[in-house]
Amino acid sequence: MKLITGGAYQGKLAYALAETGLSAEHAADGGTCTKEEMFHSPVVDHFHLFIKRMLQEGMSPEDLAALAGDLMRDNPDAVIITDELGCGLVPVDAFDRSYREVTGRICCLLAREAEEVHRVICGIGTVIKHG
Amino acid sequence: MIAVILGGSGSGKSELAEATAVAYGQGNLVYIATMQPFDDESHRKIERHRVMRKDKNFETIECYTGLDNVILQENTTVLLECMSNLTANEMFSSQGAGSNAMDAVRRGVENLMEQADNLVIVTNNVFEDGTEYDAATKEYMQLLGDANRWICTIADMVIESVHGIPVEAGQEAVL
Repeated sequence: MKLITGGAYQGKLAYALAETGLSAEHAADGGTCTKEEMFHSPVVDHFHLFIKRMLQEGMSPEDLAALAGDLMRDNPDAVIITDELGCGLVPVDAFDRSYREVTGRICCLLAREAEEVHRVICGIGTVIKHG
Repeated sequence: MIAVILGGSGSGKSELAEATAVAYGQGNLVYIATMQPFDDESHRKIERHRVMRKDKNFETIECYTGLDNVILQENTTVLLECMSNLTANEMFSSQGAGSNAMDAVRRGVENLMEQADNLVIVTNNVFEDGTEYDAATKEYMQLLGDANRWICTIADMVIESVHGIPVEAGQEAVL
């Protein structure tokens, strides 16, 4: 699994597609896709939005962490794209705080297992963990 | 050795900082906790950190303001967590230094530097959510930004935690 991270609107998907030679139809959108689509797609975009939806549906952080583990096991060649959410002030809203924190923790899990981690700023990727 | 570990929320910066302190600490390990618990959520946060540190032999000193009063034993490596809470406490808490917050933060950290063999400082990147905050919050952000730049000019290493991956922050900081 490869993890691509960075702020919003930094060109992470375009970067991932250029890196992999895949086209946009190979990417599942975490904001809308089913769990099955995510588990079978070579590229998973907006993974943070998948986490958000699951939290909104009441899934616990522990179950989400387990699901992230299943995703890495069942879709081991996936390229997972996520927004980096943590670099702001503590949100006033309790759900926003939890969403931000849980996404960070799950991304730490993904980064630990990933073969490579790329960080993208202004469309420029830096490999911060090498395979 | 002075190390600064920075990162966002949930970035794995604390774990990285603990590992750094343990790696450098030959003698006593002291953890200076600056988070003032005021509700269940902060208690849970503190508990999570306690569990994470459990087997690493840190002595915990809770100190929310006035770090210039801390007295350390010899041969001590200090993990200070974190600048963002310390700065907020000095600015906003009734025991804090108020308008002299920057000075208090600086004197506090200098006091630790003078006594400790190694000092690992955790700080927070709170600067990238693009939100226009009220004047008091902006003042806090400015002060924390200044404090971060100041410690980074002194530090021997500045590491950013990105999902738990240590990324070197680069060359010399400019004050």
